[in-house]
Amino acid sequence: MPKCTIDGKEIEVAPGTSVIQAAEQAGVRVPRFCYHDDLPVDGNCRMCLVEIEKFPKLQIACGTPVNEGMVVKTQVTSEKAKEAQKNTLEFLLVNHPIDCPVCDQAGECYLQDQYMDNGLHDSRTVLEDKIAKRKVVDIGPILLDAERCVVCSRCIRYEREVTKTNLLEFVNRGGSTQISTYDGGPITHEYAGNLVDVCPVGALLSKDFRFKMRVWFLKETDSICPGCSTGCNMTIDHRDGEAYRFRPRRNVDVNKSWMCDPGRDLYKTVGPDRVTTAHKAGGAVAPLSDLLDEVAAKVQSAGAATAFLASPHASNEDAFAFKKLALSVGGRLDFRVGNPQDKVTVRKDQILQREDRHPNTQGLLNLGLGVTGVDALLADCKAGKVQVLVLQDAGLLEDAGVAAAAKQVPYVVAIATHQGPHLEAAHAVIPAAMWAETDGTFTNFEQRVQRFKRAFEAPGDARPRWEIALELLTRLGKPMNAATAGDVFVEMAVETKALGDLTHRSLGPMGRVAGSNTQAQATA
Amino acid sequence: MASSVITVNRDTRPGYYPILYGMWLTLKNMFETLFVKGRSATIEYPEKKRNISGRYRGVHLLTAREDGTPKCVACYMCATVCPAECIYIESGERPEKKIEKYPTRFEIDLLRCVFCGFCVDACPEEAILMSRENDLVGTSRAELIIDRENLMHRGKLAEVGPGYRPDDHDVRRPVHIAALERLKSEHGIVPGMPNRGH
Repeated sequence: MPKCTIDGKEIEVAPGTSVIQAAEQAGVRVPRFCYHDDLPVDGNCRMCLVEIEKFPKLQIACGTPVNEGMVVKTQVTSEKAKEAQKNTLEFLLVNHPIDCPVCDQAGECYLQDQYMDNGLHDSRTVLEDKIAKRKVVDIGPILLDAERCVVCSRCIRYEREVTKTNLLEFVNRGGSTQISTYDGGPITHEYAGNLVDVCPVGALLSKDFRFKMRVWFLKETDSICPGCSTGCNMTIDHRDGEAYRFRPRRNVDVNKSWMCDPGRDLYKTVGPDRVTTAHKAGGAVAPLSDLLDEVAAKVQSAGAATAFLASPHASNEDAFAFKKLALSVGGRLDFRVGNPQDKVTVRKDQILQREDRHPNTQGLLNLGLGVTGVDALLADCKAGKVQVLVLQDAGLLEDAGVAAAAKQVPYVVAIATHQGPHLEAAHAVIPAAMWAETDGTFTNFEQRVQRFKRAFEAPGDARPRWEIALELLTRLGKPMNAATAGDVFVEMAVETKALGDLTHRSLGPMGRVAGSNTQAQATA
Repeated sequence: MASSVITVNRDTRPGYYPILYGMWLTLKNMFETLFVKGRSATIEYPEKKRNISGRYRGVHLLTAREDGTPKCVACYMCATVCPAECIYIESGERPEKKIEKYPTRFEIDLLRCVFCGFCVDACPEEAILMSRENDLVGTSRAELIIDRENLMHRGKLAEVGPGYRPDDHDVRRPVHIAALERLKSEHGIVPGMPNRGH
C-alpha cells in the first residue's frame, strides 16, 4: 500500500491508484474532462495537470500512478498547477461557441464549472474567428453538436470498451477535429443514453430530454431501476411531483456508471394514466377507507377460500405485508406468473439487461411467496373454489391465464397503479403508489438488497402497497406494528433469515448482499 | 440636573391671534389650489398622468428579432432568478439551426410579480424589458396572466413608453419592440425617449 502526500495530507492508497483517484480520496477534486472512473485512461485533455515533487514538469493526475512517498501538489496548493489548468481551459474554450443559454448541458457542464473555478477571463478569440462545425446533427436518440465538443474521446472510449460497437470516431485534424458516426448514421444500440452522461460538455445531448427542463430546477432522489432484475442504481430527477429523467448512479458492483435506454424511458410511466381514486366495478368511485372496509369484510368471510397473487414488481416491504395478509386468513398465495424465477439471472445482452423484466423476483423468492403454485392457484379460481382473489398488481390481469381465472371469481380486488381496460374485470380497485412514490427495497439477481427512496407524493388517494396491506390487516384484527416502510423492513428482517441484521439505514446507498444462507432459503 | 429643567409660565393667554392666523393659512392654501394655476398638488387622473421615470419598472415586454419572432432563447434565467416564481416558460425547437431554442409558451403571472426587475437584469439577450405601464386592470385573475403574444404587443406601450433596462453599454443598442414598430410603420408615430426623472 503506497503512501503519498497530497496537498500536505498523507494518505495510503491501493496499489495502482492514479493520482487523480488518490486526490479524490484526500478530498481534492482535480478538474478533468477526459478522465472517467469507468473508462480507460486516455490523458488527452491535459486539464488535470498537477505538480509532483522530483518531476521536472507538471504531470497529468489521471495517467500517473501513485508511488511510495510521492508528494503531490494540486491546484489547491500549487500556483504552477493552477496556472497550467487555467491555460489549458483557455485553449479548450478557443473555439467553444457561446451557447450556454440554449445548451441543455448548462448547469452540469464541466466547462462552465471550471470556467467559474479557474477561468473568469474574457475570450481572446473574436466570435467570427471561431471555427464553425456541425450543429444539431441527428444521430438517433442523441443530438450531436460538434462545436461544443472538447475532443476528450470519452464517448469514443465508451463505444470501444463498454458497448464494443465503435460507432463514434474522430474525423479531420487539428482545430477542425470533430467526432462523427460513420457516414452520419444513427447510434443503434440500447445504451445511447450513457453517451449523454459521459460527455462532459453539451456535445452529445439527449433528444428526449432536449429543452424539457433546466437541470438546476431538478431535485435528485436515489432510486433503483425497476426495469429488470439487474437493479441498476439510478437517480430520479424530478420537479413538482413530475419525473423528468432517470440517470445512472455509480455502483461499481452493479451497473458501474451505466444504465440502459429502456430503463431510462421508464420515467414516462410514472406520471400519466394513473389510478387516483378507489372505485368499485363499473367505475363507481368510493372513499378509500370504505372500500378497504368492504374488501376486509369479503376477505374475512371468505376465509380460506381466498387467493392472493403477488407481483414481482412489488418491493420487499410490499411483498412481506402481502404475505402476512394472505397468511392471516389462510388463503392461497403465489406470484410466479410467467415463471420469472427461471430468468432472474439470465442475461439479455452482455452489458446490463436481464431477461426477467421484474425488479424483485429474487426478493419474493427469498421471502417465500411461492407457496401454492401459480397453476394450482389459477386452477382453483377456475374451479370456483375461490371466493375472493386479491391481485397485488392490476397488471397481472393483462396475462390471459390470470384474466380467464379472474372471470370465475365472484370478487376480484385489484391494487392498481395505471388505468386501462383490464381494470374492468376487478370488483374493487385500490389506487397504489409506484416505486418512485414510496420507500422500499428490491433484491436483485445477485441477492443484493438495494434501497430506493420516495421522490414525490403519489397522486390522489394512491397509497403504497405495503400500507394498503397493513390497513387490511388492521381491519382483519391482526395489526402489524409498523408505520413506515423501514418498520416493515425490520419486521421482515426478524422473520427472514436471509436478511439477517439489515435495516434500511444499514443498506446504505449501494445496497448490501444478503447473508450467505439465502440460496438455501430461495430453494426451500 | 437642575440646569436642564426650564420653567414654563402656564398663566399667559395667547389670545385669538394664533387661531385666526392658522385659519387664514388653511383657507389661503385651499383657494390657491382651487384657483391659482400650477399651484395644485394633485392631477386630474386619468385624463392627466404623471411623467414617470424612464427607469420605471412596470409591466414587462418581450422584444423581437427583425423578423418578428421573439428574441428570447428560453434560457430560463429570468424564471430562475425570479423571487416570486411568476414566470412560466416552455421551450421548443426553432427551425433555423443557428439559434435552436425559443419559448413556445412564456407567461408572467402579474398578480404574483413583485416588479423587482431581476428578470431584466438576468436576461443575456435583452429579450425581456419593462415598460412604464402601471395602471393594470383586469376583470378576472386569468386576465392578468399575460402570455407571449401579449408580452410582445403590449397595447398601451405606445402611450407609456418602455421602462427599465439594465444600465450598461448595451443600452444604446437598438431594440425591436413589436408594438412600437407597428406604431411607427402604420401611424408614423415615434414616442419620445423616456424622460429621466420627473
